[in-house]
Amino acid sequence: MDRPVVVELDHVFATYRDLVVLEDVSLKVSRGDFLALIGPNGSGKTTLLKIILGLLRPAAGEVRVFGRAPWRLDGERWRIGYCPQGLSVDLNFPVRAGEAVLMGRYGRIGLMRRPSAADRAAAEQAMQRVGVADLADRPIARLSGGQRQRVFLARALAAQPELLLLDEPTTGVDVAATDSLYELLRGLHQTGITIVVVSHDVGVVASYVDGVACLNRRLVAHGRPEEVFASDALEQMYGCDAMLFHHGRVPHMVVEKK
Amino acid sequence: MEILHYAFMQRALVAGALIGAVCAVVGVYVVLRGLSFVGAGIAHASFGGVALGFLLGVNPVLTAVAFCLAIAWGIGFVARKGQVREDTAIGVFFASSMALGILFIGLMHGYNVDLFGYLFGSILAVTAQDLWITLGLGVTVLLVVGLFYKELMFVAFDPEMAQVTGVPAAKLYFLLLSLVALTVVLSIKVVGIVLVSALIVTPAAAAYQLSEDFRRMMALAVLIGVASAVGGLLLSYPLNTASGATIVLLATLIFFVSALVSPRRRRRRAAPR
Repeated sequence: MDRPVVVELDHVFATYRDLVVLEDVSLKVSRGDFLALIGPNGSGKTTLLKIILGLLRPAAGEVRVFGRAPWRLDGERWRIGYCPQGLSVDLNFPVRAGEAVLMGRYGRIGLMRRPSAADRAAAEQAMQRVGVADLADRPIARLSGGQRQRVFLARALAAQPELLLLDEPTTGVDVAATDSLYELLRGLHQTGITIVVVSHDVGVVASYVDGVACLNRRLVAHGRPEEVFASDALEQMYGCDAMLFHHGRVPHMVVEKK
Repeated sequence: MEILHYAFMQRALVAGALIGAVCAVVGVYVVLRGLSFVGAGIAHASFGGVALGFLLGVNPVLTAVAFCLAIAWGIGFVARKGQVREDTAIGVFFASSMALGILFIGLMHGYNVDLFGYLFGSILAVTAQDLWITLGLGVTVLLVVGLFYKELMFVAFDPEMAQVTGVPAAKLYFLLLSLVALTVVLSIKVVGIVLVSALIVTPAAAAYQLSEDFRRMMALAVLIGVASAVGGLLLSYPLNTASGATIVLLATLIFFVSALVSPRRRRRRAAPR
C-alpha cells in the first residue's frame, strides 16, 4: 500500500436538517482505485460525493482530497472530474455538445480568458475518448439519454482530472449503453485515473470495479467485490435477502421483497 | 420621417437602441437562469431610488443605482442563505421599496415631478445628460458581460458543475444581479420602471424559442431588443403612445411569433426545471 491516498474520510458525519445522513464514515481511496459506492435510495451516497467535491461540509469529521480540505482546493479543483446525474440541468439549454464539453475546462482556463487552441484540443480529445466526437455540433436538446451521459462524461474529462466521480451515470440509460459505459470507465481506469462511481447497478458494477463500498448511512462494508458480496453486507444494507447470480458475463442481483 | 430631425428623437433613438441591446444581453442570462422575477423585483425597487433622488435634489439616476444595487444584493443574500425563498425575498423587497418611494414623494413639498414618465417611459424626457449616463452605464454592462461571458453562461447552464470545477458561482450570481440593477437604471427613462423587466425578459425569451446555440440566442436577442426599441420609439410618436409601452408590446408581438414558429414547439420535451 504505497500508492498515495487521493480521498480520505475520517469519522465523517453529515446532517440534513435534523436527520443524520452519514454516520461515522471512514473511507480511503488510493490513486488508481476503481471504487463503486452502492446503497439503497437515501443511503447518503450523493451526500458523500458532495462532501468529497466540497459542495457540502461535514457536520463532524475530517475530509481530505489530494491532501487538502476539498473546499480549499482553489486552483486545483480541476484535478477532480465530476459527472452529475444526467437530469440535473435544463436539457433545453441552447448549447451544443462541443461547447458543453469545453465548459469542463473553464475553471482551469480561469476568469476573463478565452479558451486557447490547447483547451479546444483537450475538449476534442475527451470527446473522442468517450466516442462522441461526431456529436460536437449537436445541440444537447437533441441528444439521446446515452449520448448525453457520454457528453457529460467528456465534460468531466476535458480538464484532464486525476480523480473522476460519477453519480448514477446509467440512470435512464438502456442495458447495452450501461455496459459500454462501464467498458469505457474500465478503459479510463487503465490509463491511471482514479474512479469513484455511485451506482444502483450492484450486479453490473461488480464485474468492472476493484473495490465496493456499501453505504447505508454508515459504511456497511468496504472491500474487493467478491469479499463484499460473499458477506452479508447486501442483506444488512437492503434489509432483505439479496443474491447475485451470473447470467452470461453480467452478474445480476435478485432482491426478495418483504 | 421628419421626426428624425428633432434632437430629442435622435437622443431617444440612440438611447433606445443601446437599451434594447443591453437589456437583451443581460436578459439572456436572466431568462436562462430563471431569474425573470428578480428582474421585475429590482425594476420596481428602483422607484424608491428615483423618489429619493427627487427628495434630496440630486440626479435620480445616481440614487437609483445605489438603491437598485442594494436591493439586488439584499435579494441575493437572503436567497443564498436559504432561510427565505427567493420569490418571497423579492416580494418583500420590491413592495417595501415602492412603499418607501411613495413615502419620499409624500415628504416633498408640492410635487411637480414627471412621475408618469419614470413609471412608463417618455422619449421627451431623455436629456443630453441622460443619454451620456445611459451610454456610460450601457458600455460598462456590456464590457463586464464580455469579460465574464463564458463563466456567466456556464453558471446559467449548470451552477453546481461550475462551482465544482472552480468557477466562482456565488460571486457570479451577485455579479449578474448587479448587472440587472444597472440595466434597470439605464433603461428607466425610456422604457419606464414598470416595463423595464419586460424589455429584459421578452427579447431573450423570443430568441430562446429560435435558438439551440448560445451565441445565436445572444445575437437574436440583441437583434430583437434593438428592433423593438427603435421600432417602438418610431411608432410611439405618430401614434402618440407611451414609448415604453409601445416598445414592450412590439417585443411581445415578436415573442408570440417566435413561439409559433419555434422548432422547440415541434419537438417538445419535458424540461425539468
